[in-house]
Amino acid sequence: MHSMTPEANPGPPGFASPPKPIVEARGLAKTFSISGSEVTALEGVDLSIRRGEFISFVGPSGCGKSTFLNMVAGLLSPTGGEALVNGVAVREPSRQVGFMFQTPVLLPWRTVEQNVLMPAEVFGRKDKAVRDKARSVIEAVGLGGFVGAYPRQLSGGMQQRVALARILTYEPEVLLMDEPFGALDEFTREAMNLELMRITRAAGITVLFVTHNITEAVFMSDRVVVMTPRPGKVSGMVDIALPRPREIGLMQKQAFADLIFEVRGILGHGHG
Amino acid sequence: MAMASINATASNNVRAGGLSEQWRYRLISLVIIVVLLAAWEFAPRAGLVSAIILPPLSKVAHALLTLVQQDFFMRHFTVTLREILIGFVLGTLIGFGIGTALAIWPAVKRVSYPFVVGFQAIPKIVFAPLFIAWFGFGETSKVVMAVVIAFFPVLINTLVGLESVPEDARRLMRSIRATQLQTFYKVSLPHALPVIFAGVKAALTFAVIGAIVGEFVGASEGLGYLVDLYNHQLRIDRVFAVITILAAIGAGGYFLLEWLDAKLIFWRNEEGR
Ligand SMILES: Nc1ncnc2c1ncn2[C@@H]1O[C@H](COP(=O)(O)OP(=O)(O)OP(=O)(O)O)[C@@H](O)[C@H]1O
Ligand SMILES: [Mg+2]
Repeated sequence: MHSMTPEANPGPPGFASPPKPIVEARGLAKTFSISGSEVTALEGVDLSIRRGEFISFVGPSGCGKSTFLNMVAGLLSPTGGEALVNGVAVREPSRQVGFMFQTPVLLPWRTVEQNVLMPAEVFGRKDKAVRDKARSVIEAVGLGGFVGAYPRQLSGGMQQRVALARILTYEPEVLLMDEPFGALDEFTREAMNLELMRITRAAGITVLFVTHNITEAVFMSDRVVVMTPRPGKVSGMVDIALPRPREIGLMQKQAFADLIFEVRGILGHGHG
Repeated sequence: MAMASINATASNNVRAGGLSEQWRYRLISLVIIVVLLAAWEFAPRAGLVSAIILPPLSKVAHALLTLVQQDFFMRHFTVTLREILIGFVLGTLIGFGIGTALAIWPAVKRVSYPFVVGFQAIPKIVFAPLFIAWFGFGETSKVVMAVVIAFFPVLINTLVGLESVPEDARRLMRSIRATQLQTFYKVSLPHALPVIFAGVKAALTFAVIGAIVGEFVGASEGLGYLVDLYNHQLRIDRVFAVITILAAIGAGGYFLLEWLDAKLIFWRNEEGR
């Protein structure tokens, strides 16, 4: 797993403390003011996410999902409350947290391998170990034969795999994904989801996954956070106690349908 | 990046269209050139235009061949070539420097952009007599003129190119805690390079204009000086000969830049034009 990162703070000696959450939100809020008028993008969110958990955020457009992720990533500062990663308040981006966007944002003048190694260059540690790691991650996302290819030679799905490999190479503990496969077709997306689950489970990475797709959220997650807009807030949570590993066939099960129904119920009527 | 993959497909289609199409266009261009050159030869001979105003092509060709063999010609040629090259290089560097500063520091842009735009509104040729007065009849005044005309397209294209870096790319760099400098040379600069290069090509053309205009206004050597001289002597064949040489300098430089462009910005391929 993550041998290079220190263990989360052990509790005070003598107490049997519960495991510390890896990501925590305490009254996390954000209000944007655009030319005088104020928009509450997110109303105080309280949330505790366990290490290794796969948690999805669903909700209609404008309910503050991206805003939430951006604050956890340290790309946006809250106007109320705080986000904590490993018990420390987030003030700026950190290597413990990787952020995957809807677009792959590959650099077209770099090969797949060079793109994947870009963060390592930024961190100033592009040694043999990192190169080997990059190779094995590229292999793991199914692009073993494309290390020397340029982005324009790859399909959209393959480009997102490169973006994923770029993050996995620097071994973050938390992976934030903002509709990462939203631009892909249904088939590619399903395949990507399965692979994402397999890889992040194997590496013990905590995933915060934003999507518009309820089925996808229920299928992959340990927990689904349901959000509603105006003002953006968490209106409910659903534990997904389905066994793992999960196969596509699971979607035909009654338990699965019930969970989807439950999520829809919280969202209220009229959401696709 | 979805863009890139679409582009790649487009280029494949063009290639499927085949080389023959490209050659057909080249053939048409060639025919037009031949017709124009033939008209140039025969119109003066037939008396359609005065041979003094427009000497026939063969006379110009002859003038060109004799001119390039003269000792004094090489001196004029190198003077102008040097003015153009120095003006072009300095103009490019200055344009790139200012454009980068404007893109990186929003405060600098807000303060100085009105001056930049205002300066561009001036037809800079009016400075030529002034530069002669300030920097003398020598090469310096011509170089300054070339720089002043040439730097602007590079400045604007650098600014536009650097500012067009996608927001997600910036966020990516922030999320891995890249420094401003790292973001600049790993993402922004390569991203802007194709646009900057278009400005650099324009700068070359402008540097030629600047040097020649400077020589027109006041000089004792250079190709612009020769054009002016032969014009007064009504040796129009030689005027055309020098113009041909100037055109060759401009075209040569341009093709050199095109070649460099294709080498440097290899990821764009032919479809990006
Ligand atoms: N930079 C900003 N400036 C002003 N308002 C913003 C900004 N970013 C987001 N908002 C507003 O905050 C609210 C929440 O936006 P956010 O992007 O977090 O929603 P979302 O749930 O991610 O939506 P979507 O599903 O469409 O991506 C919206 O009303 C939006 O208009
Ligand atoms: Mg969003």
